[in-house]
Amino acid sequence: MPHLGAAFNLARWLTGNTTDAEDVVQDAYLRAFRYLDAFRGDNFRVWLLTIVRNSFLDWLKDNRSGRLVFQPAPVESDWIDPTPGAEAMLLERVDSETLAILMARLPAEYREVLILREIEDMSYKDIAEVTGIPAGTVMSRLSRARLALRKAWIANEKTP
Amino acid sequence: MNHDRAKALLPAYADRQTGPIRRFLLGLHIARCTSCLAELEAIHAMRTAIRTNLPIHRAPPSLAMRIGSALPREAPPVVRRPSFARFGWAGSAMAGGLAGVVLTLAVTRLTPRPDPLVADVIADHVRSMMGEHLMDVPTSDQHTVKPWLSARLDLSPVVKDLAPEGYPLVGGRLDYVDGHRAAAIVYRRDKHVINLFAFVSDDRSDAAPVRDSRDGFNVIRWRMGGLTYVAVSDVEAAQLMAFVRLVESG
Repeated sequence: MPHLGAAFNLARWLTGNTTDAEDVVQDAYLRAFRYLDAFRGDNFRVWLLTIVRNSFLDWLKDNRSGRLVFQPAPVESDWIDPTPGAEAMLLERVDSETLAILMARLPAEYREVLILREIEDMSYKDIAEVTGIPAGTVMSRLSRARLALRKAWIANEKTP
Repeated sequence: MNHDRAKALLPAYADRQTGPIRRFLLGLHIARCTSCLAELEAIHAMRTAIRTNLPIHRAPPSLAMRIGSALPREAPPVVRRPSFARFGWAGSAMAGGLAGVVLTLAVTRLTPRPDPLVADVIADHVRSMMGEHLMDVPTSDQHTVKPWLSARLDLSPVVKDLAPEGYPLVGGRLDYVDGHRAAAIVYRRDKHVINLFAFVSDDRSDAAPVRDSRDGFNVIRWRMGGLTYVAVSDVEAAQLMAFVRLVESG
């Protein structure tokens, strides 16, 4: 299965557990297979991950009715006074367990852009396509997602 | 570019999502602005943290099989093979296999990703010639260029006037290349400009020169004394390699 790894990782980060991620991914591949003749683009991964995300939203509707995962995150002032070097150095050393917990606590709309950008290495244009948000919004959402993760990390550091 | 504008565009810069001109202008600002540089470093640090430490969830081996067996018995519309239905269970397995082939074919249309470092240095090279900002220190005196760069960057690259060999030194400037503050040392060969970038390597070991070319530019990079050097120019490859050898032996 092409891009199964990327599809599963995204679904797992969105659903938060393996069982549901498997269901979402299976549903996505079945849809992809069914609508394969509708695939016109040149980037199959973008197309497939778009379907994974749609499958996730449908799964959400069926299983978590009423819960708004993609609620708009509060607009925050988007600048931290940088402490040159020091914070950057420490951040690089955050352990994987802590990072996973901090990440899981972020709103889904932040998790998905971080995964698509930093793990899948997608362009803003491709991220816009997968998430259905305007291309011009991708940068600010990514920026807010990074800031939220950074703040969560700093708060975590201060409360040992 | 003013500070507020640059600050707002830092994510796009870090994500390599700006056009070459904006990238060049941002690079010039960042090389001189400690606040933007720190912010950029924080974005890069977060990226490193996510890429190296965020757990990647692997699909269980059973999932591919489970999907394969759940795929429809008939092949998809693009490859009509209705006769598979007659083979029942075996037909379904074959259709599943076929689905894999069709999906794989779709994937091979992906184009290879260009090397970001090469794209970056070519963009910097082109913009440095188009704009007015080819040099911060326009001088052929190596004893001026080298200390000027060393004082502003925590590195001491090879700077050597190679005029006798046909590659006169014309100056230096601060630049920002592939996530690193870099020294750009400017040489000429006849009417051509050679930009030689130097920045601290992630990998400290030495490495022999490697050649690349794109869009009519030649790019040669190597590592020496803990620094990565990248020479970019539109001079022909042999001349650029001769230049690199001269710098290397310097």
